[in-house]
Amino acid sequence: MGTAPASRDVTSYGMGLAAPLALFFLVFFVAPLLQLLWLSLHNDTAGLHWGVGQYLHFLTDPFSLSVLGSTLLLGAEVTAVCLVLGFPIAWLYQRVGPRLQTVIILIVLLPLLTSVVVRTFAWIVILGRQGIINATLQSLGIIDTPLKLLYTQFGVVIALAQVQMPLMTLPLITALGRIDPNLDDASCSLGAGSWRTFFRIVLPLSLPGVIAGCTLTYAAAITAFITQSLIGGGQMLFMPMYLYQQASTLQNWPFASAISIIFLLAVLAVVSVFTTLGRMSRGYGGA
Amino acid sequence: MILNRRSLMTTALTLGAMKAFPGLSYAQARPLVFATFTGSWEEAHKAVLVPAFRKANSDAAIVLDPMLSVDQIAKINAAKANPPIDVMLHDPGPALVAIGQDLAEPYPVEKSAYYKDLITEAQEPMGPAPFFQVVGLTYNPEAVKTPPTSWADLWKPEFKGRVGITNLNSTLGTGWLVEIAKMRGGSEANVDPGFKAIEELKPNLAAVAANPGALATLFQQGQIDISPGNFNAIQILKARGVPVEFVAPKEGAIAFKTTIHIVKNSPNRELAFKLIEASLSPEVQTALMNSPYLIVPTNSKVAMGGEIARVLAKDTAELKQKFVFQDWKKINEQRSTWIERFNREIKI
Repeated sequence: MGTAPASRDVTSYGMGLAAPLALFFLVFFVAPLLQLLWLSLHNDTAGLHWGVGQYLHFLTDPFSLSVLGSTLLLGAEVTAVCLVLGFPIAWLYQRVGPRLQTVIILIVLLPLLTSVVVRTFAWIVILGRQGIINATLQSLGIIDTPLKLLYTQFGVVIALAQVQMPLMTLPLITALGRIDPNLDDASCSLGAGSWRTFFRIVLPLSLPGVIAGCTLTYAAAITAFITQSLIGGGQMLFMPMYLYQQASTLQNWPFASAISIIFLLAVLAVVSVFTTLGRMSRGYGGA
Repeated sequence: MILNRRSLMTTALTLGAMKAFPGLSYAQARPLVFATFTGSWEEAHKAVLVPAFRKANSDAAIVLDPMLSVDQIAKINAAKANPPIDVMLHDPGPALVAIGQDLAEPYPVEKSAYYKDLITEAQEPMGPAPFFQVVGLTYNPEAVKTPPTSWADLWKPEFKGRVGITNLNSTLGTGWLVEIAKMRGGSEANVDPGFKAIEELKPNLAAVAANPGALATLFQQGQIDISPGNFNAIQILKARGVPVEFVAPKEGAIAFKTTIHIVKNSPNRELAFKLIEASLSPEVQTALMNSPYLIVPTNSKVAMGGEIARVLAKDTAELKQKFVFQDWKKINEQRSTWIERFNREIKI
């Protein structure tokens, strides 16, 4: 064969194929983001005077900080509800026959097939004064006057949890599916009870799925402008509505940009906590 | 015709460039672009205003591009020298913003056939008002047996937990705050009495909606029985069978001018003027006044009829007497402070 040309290293990869998408991201994501940052560094609404006044205004204002805090808290509550309700479904999915599996996956996916607006409106009907919950409780004689469910934090959390549930359940189903069922049997035959097996074997091994599900649910819940405003109403202020108010009603774009940059950083911080936990869990799972 | 690679490439590049830089092809001739509002506004304009305009102007090409006021302002600001919109439509607040940012062309009043027939409040030299939006009291006649007559009725103890309002994001919410402030001795410059009044209203408040549209849902769900509301929005609800009625309070119904403007540097200035003329004409305004649109006319030559004559005013004289107009220039000065205050203080 003579001297073969230096054989191509099969482990190297060309960047060429990724270039179109990279370019797309550069033009339609990175550039607008930089523009946003640029705009947020101005002290006046016309964008003429440089300064960090908008950031100072937000970070020294207890009210703005409380809006940020309540938004991050809302995300945590929704994520917790989704995790507690979604895990059993995912667990069940791995333990039933193929026909029931189809039914479960259909039930999980069905909400994704209708728009968020429609799902949210359904919750208005459920939570309203003459809604399903109040009507049932009243006809059972448990309450006399209708409970206030719509336009409360409780209502927002429940509605968001249902709306975002698939984002939690799907990664969990995948993660639980990757666990070898023999491990359960091994644990039991070695004398561990079901709860012990669950906490020592199933839960640690499913952690990557839990982390992925939590990240997705969290990010979706805190940015869910439609559900937050329709179920929460006009006096419950979360970051997306605050942003909309400043940008759209007041035309104060520099402050709105500063709010979005701060919101972005706060969310990135939370997501990086999740990712760190995920990295640690990988070590745990492998141990 | 022989297609070789080079000519094919040239054609593709040209088409691509035209698509990427629409200014290239639009510079010559572009249809008139009218940025109306979405929803019932677009329907009404498509059905009445556009056909009337095309009939009067030998089928001139026109495109409706419905969007919010804010988006209109942002889009024109992004290309001031060659704006993608020729005619814009605004609520009073955004109209002042657009004029303040030098986006509107003065209306050629002396050329206009209809301008002088408009009622004085609608005569705006930077863009006349072809329509009014009217805000009054909305109530559910099944739950509220005696129709309310005054804004003050909202504070009646019998409406405990039954009143809905909207926050100040909307023109409606802000206008209503100013009105109740005026009722208690305040003005466009001083809404303190209004905030105090809302504070006293808290026991009655069932909901603070995020936008006027959400109030409609709350009526449908029986969440509220009485609220300030937009005349047109109520008519749409009523037509769908929801039990709601509109009444103009004795203090006067709040009237917002919806103004229409020629965009500065528009390449279609002449057609833009013609479209606005059509919107001011008695023919178009009469058609829009009738069912199902029920848009309040501003041309004094239009004879009031139908639901508008029954609920609002029989003629221009009564209309002027029953409507209150607000000074949005003053309102805009402090609106951001009020919104901030509302955010902080109104928690129920």
